Amino acid sequence: MTAEQLQALLPIIMMASTSVIVMLVVAFIPRHSVISSVTVLGFILTFASLSWTGEVGQGLQVTPLIVVDRFALFYSALLLLASLVITLLSFNYFTKGSGSENQVEPGEFYILLTTATLGAMVLVSSNHFASLFVGMELLGISLYVLVAYLSHYRQGRQGSLEAGLKYLVLSGVASAILLFGIALLYAEFGVLGFGQLGALWSNIGALNGIYAMAGLGLLLAGICFKLSLIPFHMWTPDVYEGAPVMATAYIATISKGAVFVLFLRFFMVSGAFMQEMANNLLILIAIASMLGGNLLALMQSNVSRILAYSSIAHMGYLLVVLLVANTGNVPVSTISESVGFYLVAYIITTLGAFGVMAVRSNMLDTRDTDQVADYKGLFWHSPWLASVLTGMLLSLAGMPLTAGFIAKFYIITMGVEGLKWLLVSTLIIGSAIGLYYYIRIIIVMFMRHDEEPITGKRDRAVSTIDGLVLAALAGVLIWLGVYPGPMIGVIQAAFPG
Amino acid sequence: MILAWLLLIPFIGGLVAWLADRKKLVDPALVTLATLLLDLLIVIGFYFTRDAPIEISGQQWMAVLELAWIPRFGIGFVLALDGLGLLMVLLTLFLGVVAVLSSWQEINHRKGFFYFNILWTMSGVIGVFTSLDLFLFFFFWEVMLIPMYFIIGVFGHENRIYAAIKFFIFTQASGLLMLLAIIALVYFHHQSSGVVTFNYFELLGAELSASVAYWLMLGFFIAFITKLPGVPLHTWLPDAHTQAPTAGSVILAGVLLKTGAYGLIRFAVPLFPEASAEFAPVAMSLGAVSIIYAAAMAFAQTDIKRLIAYTSVSHMGFVLLGVYAGNETAARGAVMTMLAHGMTSAALFAFAGAIGQRIHTRDMRQMGGFWRSAPRMGAIVLFFSVAALGMPGLANFVGEFLVLLGAFKANMLLTCIAAIGLILAPVYSLIVIQRIFHGKRLVEKPIPDVTTRETVMMLMMIVVTVGLGVFPQPVMELMASSLDLLPVVAFNDEAGMVSQ
Amino acid sequence: MIAIPVEHCLLLSVMLFCLGLLGVLVRRNIIFVLMSMEIMLNAIGLAFVSGGARWGQADGQVMFLLVITLAAAEVAIGLALVLQLYQRYRTLDIETISKMKG
Repeated sequence: MTAEQLQALLPIIMMASTSVIVMLVVAFIPRHSVISSVTVLGFILTFASLSWTGEVGQGLQVTPLIVVDRFALFYSALLLLASLVITLLSFNYFTKGSGSENQVEPGEFYILLTTATLGAMVLVSSNHFASLFVGMELLGISLYVLVAYLSHYRQGRQGSLEAGLKYLVLSGVASAILLFGIALLYAEFGVLGFGQLGALWSNIGALNGIYAMAGLGLLLAGICFKLSLIPFHMWTPDVYEGAPVMATAYIATISKGAVFVLFLRFFMVSGAFMQEMANNLLILIAIASMLGGNLLALMQSNVSRILAYSSIAHMGYLLVVLLVANTGNVPVSTISESVGFYLVAYIITTLGAFGVMAVRSNMLDTRDTDQVADYKGLFWHSPWLASVLTGMLLSLAGMPLTAGFIAKFYIITMGVEGLKWLLVSTLIIGSAIGLYYYIRIIIVMFMRHDEEPITGKRDRAVSTIDGLVLAALAGVLIWLGVYPGPMIGVIQAAFPG
Repeated sequence: MILAWLLLIPFIGGLVAWLADRKKLVDPALVTLATLLLDLLIVIGFYFTRDAPIEISGQQWMAVLELAWIPRFGIGFVLALDGLGLLMVLLTLFLGVVAVLSSWQEINHRKGFFYFNILWTMSGVIGVFTSLDLFLFFFFWEVMLIPMYFIIGVFGHENRIYAAIKFFIFTQASGLLMLLAIIALVYFHHQSSGVVTFNYFELLGAELSASVAYWLMLGFFIAFITKLPGVPLHTWLPDAHTQAPTAGSVILAGVLLKTGAYGLIRFAVPLFPEASAEFAPVAMSLGAVSIIYAAAMAFAQTDIKRLIAYTSVSHMGFVLLGVYAGNETAARGAVMTMLAHGMTSAALFAFAGAIGQRIHTRDMRQMGGFWRSAPRMGAIVLFFSVAALGMPGLANFVGEFLVLLGAFKANMLLTCIAAIGLILAPVYSLIVIQRIFHGKRLVEKPIPDVTTRETVMMLMMIVVTVGLGVFPQPVMELMASSLDLLPVVAFNDEAGMVSQ
Repeated sequence: MIAIPVEHCLLLSVMLFCLGLLGVLVRRNIIFVLMSMEIMLNAIGLAFVSGGARWGQADGQVMFLLVITLAAAEVAIGLALVLQLYQRYRTLDIETISKMKG
């Protein structure tokens, strides 16, 4: 391995070392503030190392498994920042539990955050099924524990245990399905790299043969499960509801983001988008997700569940972008750019929404502050929190002034340029339905208490860290919505190559 | 830069009003009034000191501001003002002042947030009337709704949440259709010209196939007719108007409805002239149906605000008729009707708010015999009712008469149907006077007459209404060059009859 | 030595995989669910190994090693959660704790 390759791998190495160091800190200095600071420092140093790695240039293949290109580096940076936000917001969420008889030092939570992020970084740099597998499982297995994390306290949450078990079983099955797809493709074609597979596929054209088609189908099903697209979405609402809110935020942003980035790379590099079968399957899935996600969200009274169904719909929107690839009307670079902007907007927005929820929740309660009723009149006693959440919800709904609008604009533009009128009209209908449940949460927050008594609970003061993080997220949200030019430039440079 | 300031002043004023209220420094209502008056002064000052008009693609513009915004998609920050835009901005600011005056005593809690929303709505509406980049236009189109949503949803009456959600979903969902149409227009323009741009002036000449143009025109039309509103997409309006606080109703009726009409005049017709001409019979029929249907519905209402809301739908039907009649007379009439309806409906809603504050009901069955205790109020309301029914010499008459005159050339049958509306208008207008001011006195306590604040506010509107009615020529000249782009369709009666 | 045709191996692994999947879907005892998942993973291993044999590469066996690692990790966490479940509810029935609906 050359020095250049080591330099390219540096962020992954740094992240792995951070995991080890945090593990040692948890063993020897088990104090929450120390553990948290070390984790934050690890994320920041890893982030800093990305810029140095960026000097190695375009598309360096490090072993057959990992490719370090601008695409990988950009998404690593995005995921690291998101992890950093989650780490910062976790601190107070767990601090509220200390000092009582149930005092806990949530060291393992931080170890698992770092290993999960390591998995996500491997995923976005992967162009080989082996690294895909390793990254996805590293991410997945860490998440099983994160989801079930609050189940082991004396008065622990039942929801967390239930969510953990469900996630373990369903996600395990999904991983198995995905792996089985890979195994069948391997038995059929004898290669594991995306590029090699693409070369083979471009020679043979449309796949035939039961094993090849089953392999691709199972692979897509596994990925759709991780992205919680209908009909592979069953786990999503329960896990979102039961998991501790920061773990939910992690699944919603980093896990889904990393898997989608991997999906994008696989789809493009292997040329899977040229396969008629894959496209038709995904069109059905996208339509079902856009409509189903929004319709199912209408009936919920729990903000976590609403966000879960809304994430289903959003992943459906994002799928539209991939589906214009085979028309040949839109260059691959534009597709990658649209996905990039959408993911950036979606991650910021989702982090903000769950961030507000985390600030208002306490790990020792039997559940997080996630009922819609908990938000009644929030605006009148915590105007800033309510404003941030309003901004995030408007962004999810795709209102102007927020990043979500530009993101939706990108998707509609892609759909129009690809002349996918069916998908675009479904997206419009889905968004129109979606307006209702976002606006319903907003109106609850603005209910006046001179008429309705407040049932929502009042909050303690927001800590400085939480306040700064939420303010930063809201600031970026508006900035991207009003002046997205610079960010578009950055994303355009991050092209798989 | 003056155009940017027009937008920014209410925007900043909104923040100031909110902060002022939180820190208990000054009354946010005063801040709002000062902000709007300042903006109004700037517009008037600008009008009298403006430079020679700038000509872009054959049209005269008083001021143009062009900045790069999102070059990736050819999106610019393009603001421009012409005669039509100027009239609309003046109307907006004027009614903004009226709205503030009319809600002076109504809003006592959370005033800061209320006036913040009022000013941000103003800012958004001015953006709609001045932006000439389609992306920017859509941006403001959506942005102006969010504060309005809060005005209805937070400060409205008993059923406000339902009304606010309905308002929001109707307008946003139709807005999404327009966004799709805008993007598709840009895409097809890109296909034929190789340039990606959202600039209005460049898109005006887009070469589209007839069927594509027709579909895109429909996207715009649906969004605008929802806002206008025209039958059958009007159902959000009676709820929103009824439930909104007085200032909300004034702004909704006076200003927000005009954005729909403005959109038709500025975008839907000029961007797709052939498709619009083809579609004109349908649009005009919708206009005629709106006039008759809403007038009949108005007659059946017992809720005073609901009644006025339906009369709005009826009057906006004339605008729809005028815009699609395809000749300049009717188009001028349409714009005139927009201005006139802005005055009368705002005045009537302000009056409904004033009555509501005095007797705490909007139900006309519980009113009656107010003339004796409040004769001045009665006189004022009588004036505006008579104006609304189209009394010659007042603004509405000029507008509706011109619309019918122009439309008659285009389509005789529809015009005759629409003219029935002129007969129905006195019926529902006078029934208001009859029920509220005459008849048996149902409320024992005499109601207080108009206050000085209300008198000033109403007098302002009376002056404008009379002025527009007696001396419409300056306004006509101001709007003339803006209406050039409405196609002069060679309608003849046979074509009109065939399309029935 | 008679070479076993690769189709036979794949068919066997498909059958094993389906058996495992069926087990996950119908079993209510969490231990059996975890065992069924193991069967699925082993079916995958078989498919990888037979693929490796077909192409004469070591890649298939490397993947199998990775799959074994995954199986171990998954079961470790699975059993930890099973202990939690059992300690609190004295049951291994997965239906008893399914409270969330909607």
